[in-house]
Amino acid sequence: MNLNENDPKLTAFASGELDDTERKEVEAYLAEHPEARAKVEEIRAAGDMLAAAFAVEPADGLKDYQRQAILENARIAQQGRGNLSGLQQAAEGKTFTLPAPTRIFVLRRWLSLAAAAIFGMTVGIGLFAFQQNQAGLTDRETQLASSKTEGREDKPSDTIPLIDIPKFPEDKAARPGTIPGSPATPASPAKATEDELAYPKVYDVRDLSVRVTWGNDSPDSPLITGATEKPGPTRKEKWNREAYDRIVDNPFLAALGNPLSTFSIDVDTASYSNTRRMLNGGALPPRGAVRIEELVNYFPYDYAPPKTDSKRPFAVHTAVAVCPWQPKHKLVRIALKGKKIPAAKRPPSNLVFLLDVSGSMCDDNKLPLVRKSMKMLVDRLGENDRIAIVTYAAKTKLVLDSTSCHKKAAIIKAIGQLISEGRTDGGEGIQLAYKVAAKNFIKNGTNRVILCSDGDFNVGTTSSSELTRLIENKAKTGVFLTVLGFGMGNYQDNRLEQLADKGNGNYGYIDTAAEAKKLLVDGLTGTLITIAKDVKIQVEFNPARVAAYRLIGYENRMLKKEDFNDDKKDAGEIGAGHTVTALYEVVPVGQKTPAVAPAKVDTLKYLTPAKLTKAADGDEMLTVKLRYKLPAGEKSTLMQVALKDADGKIGRQDKDFQFAAAVAGFGMILRDSPYKGTYTLAAVEELAAAAKGKDPNGYRAEFIALVKKARKLKKI
Amino acid sequence: MKPHVDDNLTQRVQAAMGAHEAPLVRYATRMVSRAETARDIVQDTFLKMIEAETAPTDGKLPAWLFTVCRNKALDVLRKEKRMNLLNDNEQAIAATDPNPAEAVELGETSCRVLDALAQLPPNQREVLRLKYQNEFSYRQIAEITGHSVSNVGFLIHTGMTKLRRQFKTGGMIG
Repeated sequence: MNLNENDPKLTAFASGELDDTERKEVEAYLAEHPEARAKVEEIRAAGDMLAAAFAVEPADGLKDYQRQAILENARIAQQGRGNLSGLQQAAEGKTFTLPAPTRIFVLRRWLSLAAAAIFGMTVGIGLFAFQQNQAGLTDRETQLASSKTEGREDKPSDTIPLIDIPKFPEDKAARPGTIPGSPATPASPAKATEDELAYPKVYDVRDLSVRVTWGNDSPDSPLITGATEKPGPTRKEKWNREAYDRIVDNPFLAALGNPLSTFSIDVDTASYSNTRRMLNGGALPPRGAVRIEELVNYFPYDYAPPKTDSKRPFAVHTAVAVCPWQPKHKLVRIALKGKKIPAAKRPPSNLVFLLDVSGSMCDDNKLPLVRKSMKMLVDRLGENDRIAIVTYAAKTKLVLDSTSCHKKAAIIKAIGQLISEGRTDGGEGIQLAYKVAAKNFIKNGTNRVILCSDGDFNVGTTSSSELTRLIENKAKTGVFLTVLGFGMGNYQDNRLEQLADKGNGNYGYIDTAAEAKKLLVDGLTGTLITIAKDVKIQVEFNPARVAAYRLIGYENRMLKKEDFNDDKKDAGEIGAGHTVTALYEVVPVGQKTPAVAPAKVDTLKYLTPAKLTKAADGDEMLTVKLRYKLPAGEKSTLMQVALKDADGKIGRQDKDFQFAAAVAGFGMILRDSPYKGTYTLAAVEELAAAAKGKDPNGYRAEFIALVKKARKLKKI
Repeated sequence: MKPHVDDNLTQRVQAAMGAHEAPLVRYATRMVSRAETARDIVQDTFLKMIEAETAPTDGKLPAWLFTVCRNKALDVLRKEKRMNLLNDNEQAIAATDPNPAEAVELGETSCRVLDALAQLPPNQREVLRLKYQNEFSYRQIAEITGHSVSNVGFLIHTGMTKLRRQFKTGGMIG
């Protein structure tokens, strides 16, 4: 062959491009032309330098919500490509029937009401299982298939929720097929016009007529202002909601047939931070992401703590108010206030940070924020406290062995050196973290593993149930688990919450430095010190005064009435200084309300109907019972408080109560709860503003701003 | 319509994202400059992988993804009436990259290397990255960019010759 020094073939040779024949030819040429050989070597070296420089370049990836959208679409498509035709049909404006879920829930509402409460629980568990399942819809399909009672043909398109891909501006928000707004709505086929449908366009790169606007190119794009990345203004509110609509709002229950309401307390606040992040990002949160109790519990309230000489770890208060969204109903508040422990009296801590440092954590709102949060915490700790850092990514590393916080500099240095790399494998990490915690156990101190993750918690070789068993067992030895979520989308939210639950710890979501401060500085003692565990509440309603009641929130915390006295049943924990608020909407006797289905149950043949006791004659509306264990205890203690009925006028004066009601209303509207009635975000805003009070930390003002944002997004 | 169940579509998509998400975002960012736009393009690329029945399931997938991505980026650029990336006679313009992530400190050498690269014409830059960053073969690069294989070879050769000289003068090699 005729080669010369400047032949492109030489470069191709240098970059390993040639096939055997050509390569041999070039080698032969080079053997005889040393200058050419030198050049080839130089090209090889230049290529290596290029590759090296490229390797160091930071690799940006997609945002979490984008990855999730992609995977959801893959799952749906995997179910059956035939669906695309169903969706295409729908796209052409043909009518379609509502997907099965709606029918199921409508059907269920008319089941016996006792079964309804249990259904809520099983559905909650079903949801968890659903999210664990990589094939996603397969489980749900089975769930739906097994509960079908009508003779409907099994059309795949019926059972697949329509997925709205973010950022197609011509897709409008309305999506028929979600849970009806009130129990009375029958499942009816909806006529879907092209405008109303959200459907994935099957497009072809060659079809240049199908073009859409890309991204957010406005001048206040985060690239220019440096602000936190927004999900994008065209992201539709109902993206992926269907996948989370498994928490069915607690229904009204008749007091006569269901006098007992039992649930576990919860101090998690992640749902509020998560919702806040989404609203600030310009999107309404998916329904399932809104857990009303976590919204209400986010805010500090001025409940009286237990008296200093009290043996009890917390104080219980009850109050009645008029229900803001339904003036014929009452609102009952059960409030717990944990005893405060001054920072100086804080028991020594043995903390092990378990950090996810996989590649996905390199976003600004993740690992950098984790570092900041940790520094804030370390600053508050002293020489009697110890910190260790375990990281998990492709490898598990003990980055810092348990070190006294006396050596702050060394700890801060180790924190500064954390970098993200590789994929996630959490199982080994958790085991190592607990090992380190156990090794440095402080008797009567605070022993905790603090897991920081973006939710991408792949447990690798450890199975999910092995992991939960490990966490539960470790909790029994006194090492509790706190879970802090960073930057993640909804997807693993329930999973992290479950881990914290099993680990007798709390679950928070840190989206900003301010939130880190709230949880790890202002709320340090609360986050670190558990003052009571397995705290359960059982309310007995007096049917002489209460026709029906409904617990607002706590859907995935409901317990069977037998669980209340069963000390083996796990429940929630309270930290020092924590407040817990539970709200019941109560229908007084004498009020006619369509909210409760008439109990069409036959009169019993072998038992006479329950009779009211003398106690029911008095003016008590209900009795609240609580069971709790001390952190190291195994036997529970019982507390009891009765609430006298009242017209609720005093409750109206209580700013804390009114504010909590506003927050609950907000949650109900975001969840599109069947019980929100005609309540509006405007009314929520008004109520919250009136109840703002001193608001020393600005949390309430922030809430009011969020309500405003939600109003804008909902255009009301 | 017969439902056709694609048993491991989700896994394939997940694997594809794991392997190619970042390279694709980087590739798209080179073309359209704005990170958010680039991410949208890459998201749509993966959605196309799900929807298009002709998406390859084998070793042809990476090049296919890049091709789809490139076409979408071009559409964006065309829509915005930006300069035509395919014109070889364009003045060499340093890549405009307002991506804040780029502000991360690179070593001095890497910095100089990338600077030198930035001075090449866009065409050469693109194929050099596809070659040395994404490790595609000439044939795959031809497929992605629409150039002929020999044209790809020529572009790489021209680019590498210039870089070689610059690195040599700068004492970075040889």
